[in-house]
Amino acid sequence: MTVPTSNDLRQTLSDKPLIGLYLLMRDYRLIYLTATLSLGVAAAARSGTYLLLGRLADKILGDEAAAGSLPLVALGFLGLAAVTGVFTFLSGTLAARTSEGVAQRLRDFMYDHIQRLTFSYHDQTRTGELIQRATSDIDAVRQFFADHAIGAGRILLLFVVNLAALLYLNWQLALYSIIVVPVTVLISYFFFQRVSKAYEAYQEQDAVLTNTLQENLTGVRVVKAFGRQSYEREKFDIVNWEKFTLGRRLLLMHALYWPSSDILTGGQMLAGFAIGAIMAINGEISVGEYMSYAGMLIWIVWPIRNLGRLIVQMSTGIVSFNRITEVIRQEREPLDEGDYISKDRPRGEIVFEDVSFAYERDSHVLQDINFRCEPGQIVALIGSTGSGKTTLANLLPRFYEYTAGSITLDGVELKRYPRNFLRGQIGVVEQEPFLFSRSIRENITYGVDRQVSEEEVIAAAEAAAIHDSIISFPNGYDTLVGEKGVTLSGGQKQRLAIARTLVKDPCMLILDDATSSVDVETETEIRAALERLMQGRTTFIIAHRIQSVMIADLIVVLDSGRIVQIGRHEELLGQEGIYRKIFDIQTRIEAELEKEIASVGQDTFLPYTANEERQDGILSYTANEE
Amino acid sequence: MTTPYFDEEEFTTRFDGRTILRILGQVKPHRQRIVCFVLMVAVVSVLDSYFTFLSKRIIDEGIVASNPAALKSIVTQYGLLILVQAVAVFSFIYLVGVLGERVRYDLRQKMFDHLQDLSLSFYNRTPVGWIMSRVTSDAERVAQLVTWGLLDLTWGTINIATASFFMIKINWRLGLIVFTIIPILVITAAQFKKKIIVEFRKVRKINSKITASYNENITGVRVVKAFGREDRNMREFGELTSEMYRSGYRAAWLSALFLPTVQFISALALGGIVWYGGFQAIVGNMTVGGIQAFVSYVVFMIWPIQEMARVYAEMQHAVASAERIFSLIDAVPDVQDQPGAQDPDSIRGDILFEGVTFHYDDDDPVLEGFDLNVRQGETIALVGPTGGGKTTIINLLGRFFEPTKGRILIGGRDYKEMSLHAIQSRIGVVLQTPHLFSGTILENIRYGKLDATDEEIEQAARLSGAHDFIADLEKGYQEEVGEGGNLLSVGQKQLISLARAVLRKPEIFIMDEATSSVDTLTEALIQKGMENLMAGRTTFVIAHRLSTIRRADRILVIKNGKITEMGAHAELLRRRGHYYRLYTSQFRSQLEQEYQPFQAAAVAAA
Repeated sequence: MTVPTSNDLRQTLSDKPLIGLYLLMRDYRLIYLTATLSLGVAAAARSGTYLLLGRLADKILGDEAAAGSLPLVALGFLGLAAVTGVFTFLSGTLAARTSEGVAQRLRDFMYDHIQRLTFSYHDQTRTGELIQRATSDIDAVRQFFADHAIGAGRILLLFVVNLAALLYLNWQLALYSIIVVPVTVLISYFFFQRVSKAYEAYQEQDAVLTNTLQENLTGVRVVKAFGRQSYEREKFDIVNWEKFTLGRRLLLMHALYWPSSDILTGGQMLAGFAIGAIMAINGEISVGEYMSYAGMLIWIVWPIRNLGRLIVQMSTGIVSFNRITEVIRQEREPLDEGDYISKDRPRGEIVFEDVSFAYERDSHVLQDINFRCEPGQIVALIGSTGSGKTTLANLLPRFYEYTAGSITLDGVELKRYPRNFLRGQIGVVEQEPFLFSRSIRENITYGVDRQVSEEEVIAAAEAAAIHDSIISFPNGYDTLVGEKGVTLSGGQKQRLAIARTLVKDPCMLILDDATSSVDVETETEIRAALERLMQGRTTFIIAHRIQSVMIADLIVVLDSGRIVQIGRHEELLGQEGIYRKIFDIQTRIEAELEKEIASVGQDTFLPYTANEERQDGILSYTANEE
Repeated sequence: MTTPYFDEEEFTTRFDGRTILRILGQVKPHRQRIVCFVLMVAVVSVLDSYFTFLSKRIIDEGIVASNPAALKSIVTQYGLLILVQAVAVFSFIYLVGVLGERVRYDLRQKMFDHLQDLSLSFYNRTPVGWIMSRVTSDAERVAQLVTWGLLDLTWGTINIATASFFMIKINWRLGLIVFTIIPILVITAAQFKKKIIVEFRKVRKINSKITASYNENITGVRVVKAFGREDRNMREFGELTSEMYRSGYRAAWLSALFLPTVQFISALALGGIVWYGGFQAIVGNMTVGGIQAFVSYVVFMIWPIQEMARVYAEMQHAVASAERIFSLIDAVPDVQDQPGAQDPDSIRGDILFEGVTFHYDDDDPVLEGFDLNVRQGETIALVGPTGGGKTTIINLLGRFFEPTKGRILIGGRDYKEMSLHAIQSRIGVVLQTPHLFSGTILENIRYGKLDATDEEIEQAARLSGAHDFIADLEKGYQEEVGEGGNLLSVGQKQLISLARAVLRKPEIFIMDEATSSVDTLTEALIQKGMENLMAGRTTFVIAHRLSTIRRADRILVIKNGKITEMGAHAELLRRRGHYYRLYTSQFRSQLEQEYQPFQAAAVAAA
């Protein structure tokens, strides 16, 4: 399922954020417009209530004959209330449909977009930053539509509608009533700008507090070992007190703003009342008109205080939207681009011809790579850190695109295979495998898009030598992996990754020589499991240890992005060069070990020699276990 | 850790009087402030209602009576009261706000205090995230309840009471009509708010799932790509966002329905006022201004009711939060000083484990009937598979746990007879993953001895081999280590944690050696530092490095909570058993790391 074109937000990109937001609202524009206009209708109905009240005072109350029309007026009030209610509700739900819809659209798109961005992009981008854009920034955009834009619209409409009604009553009075409005708007705007800064400082201190707390909790062993409880208490108290101080400062600002805006707004309202009352006494307006006026005045003057807040909040929403579009602008990796799809399983014959790769123009990571391997062969890539061995392996699934030369799989140029097809044929077992916080079963079947039978899952787990560990967990295959479930050891993770790859059943493999930092016991099991996995599959081993290369059909020695030696183990041993040096060091280690063991004396037999290792390679470890 | 105990926001009980009393107990020290702000709020609230009454008087006594003088005096009074109210508003916002911050501060401090006393076993079974939410969001919620919640409640109650008073004063019959509406309003509002809060909780839950999903997909993006899982992930994620849409929309829908419903109910009262009040006005029992006042009272009555409904709905959550906070504060540390515990001047002497059994859970012993006799000054290396019980042994020795059965004797006396401080202030511990605190290098080393002079610190750094790299840093000892020490390399962190232990001059030294590899030079420095630390001290090391193992006086192979092999290096090696296999494998991998054949060969060839 690719993203439906209707949800391709790359089409909404624009240099101007407001236009971008408008484009983002596609399908919802009419709905959102209706939501806003509904507020106008509701405001008008509310003003109608006050006009009706005025008429009631003028025409009916003084006139006993008109008493019969009272029920009708009462019904009128009810009717207007109903209209207000229905349209307020309508506006609320329509705005929610827009904001939730837009947010869902953004969430879906961002999720898909992020997983389709290139390897290079992910190499350079921090996880936390991406997550923040995909969560809190999207939520800020949602609030922009749900609360802020529509809230500002509401205040403006209340103002316009009530002002229009006042103008209709008496235009001079209307103008007197809004003198301080611009002042209120400006003050509130500046105030909320400052408050949002003070609030940020408060929030930052909150982050500091959270960090201090977390450091204390995760470092509880150190705290206890050093008996530093009271020191920690003092440290926390300082941070905690600072937050209290910042909170107090923020509150002081609020405590100053609200009453002063109360005075301003209340003064305006009272002045309006006084002028209106004088005009009424002078007979320029009727009592009823005064009553309508007094009622509507409240709805003009008070809501304005919040306009500044909404404007500030809207601007943060726009900033968030900009941060989101920065990610959306990034180029994706086209997964299904490519014209060659073989129906049969590839045999796995791979030929590199003059292959080069560079992240940027001049700095070549790989250069002039030439070699071929037959189906089912094992290719070991060795070299120091930064020699390019990992990058070379990453070219096969097209995680990176080679920039020159050609790589063919079964005689067909790699770039003609769609990436998703290719990746379906290649299994990758990393040095520190990433598992997902799902059940063990789901992790094993993670790589395939089909129903996998229980037997197959168990068979894979058995072949990967992890079945016994799994059934020792209380929930067996349904045990959750990760924070909410079991914590797996490094060796268990590796074996689970092997099982996962076995179920995927790829025709080619990339193994990151995966046995560092595990127990002796597990190392043996992992090697056995790996051997079962490699059977009949073209395998590239990114080797960190000499043991893993000895069984290879082809050893590629890399140095600074170039192949410096290539051949089988015996051939390379016969040559002067890096490989022999590596091997010499290895032999020396074995010799030292022999010496060490010999030094403790009493040798009944020595079950292990360097010679044996040369022949058996990986298997030699197994031979030593009982 | 899937026990429901740790599920977020689970309600354990309904309203519990004792919990509420205890919550109130938290603000007891600040009762003067509370009295003050309640008074201030009362002033504001009474004035709110009185302003409406003044508006009525403007109409009746000023306009209808055509009396400019009366108008002037009413307006003046009104104006003055606006100023009075402004002062009261200032006071209550400030008072209640600062009180709120203060209660948050107190709660956090109280919990943090107690957390320092809780035992390691508490931390082993409690996720850090759970504790964090107690100290942050639960404290927040309780503080909200006792401050703004209390304020809204006060304001609402007084507002309704004074409005009722004025309505009765204007026309008691009409007042009674309005009163019939109030309970309906209150109940409707409370029901709505409850439902809305439930919906918002659902939204929050799904939202955290969405964040987790993003997190996993981004950190695991290479696996996602390798397995071509994009489409299926998208489908699964789409279900999540659809669920989010439904919940979010439903919450918004309820919120949107809430106000109009309440307003319509109050409009029924409005209709009654117009009908009956209009009739009363015509017969002269009521003034025009009176009707205006009634309309205002009814229209604005929904605000206090809405606020009170909100407080009522949130109260349940706040009480649940408070219960969780109290459960944390009430948790009793498993390891505490026994009555009469003493502090001998030294804990030198032989260490004896006598039939020590330990289990975390009831059924599953980690260590069973463990016996060991260690002479003063001896170095013991513990080796064996992960989960075999090595860590438990050193945790028992440091008395971070106590034996479930059996005893541990130091210098001939049961260590439970000594105070925790006596033991823990005389041991030095270096952990496998060195944990540093944000701050400078100096501060981190000083952690070992708070009153150490800068010279002492430098000397400790020299002894542990950390001095050279520190001196090379731009700011030397004043260099920041970053959060968790992440501005330093693994090896540097290990050196600093060694220096920290050296500074302490411990009598017993406990070390869990790091498995991660560091460069050869740093490795040599660490070895040297360890040697300095071990000299003359009883030492327990969970050993991974060959040199450490070889140096030990005795090596214990620990497997399944038992000693399977014990002896000196040469002796064990000759035995060709478990230790032999461990050692040969370790030998190869360590030497490979040391020689770094790939790097070395590349350099040699160049």
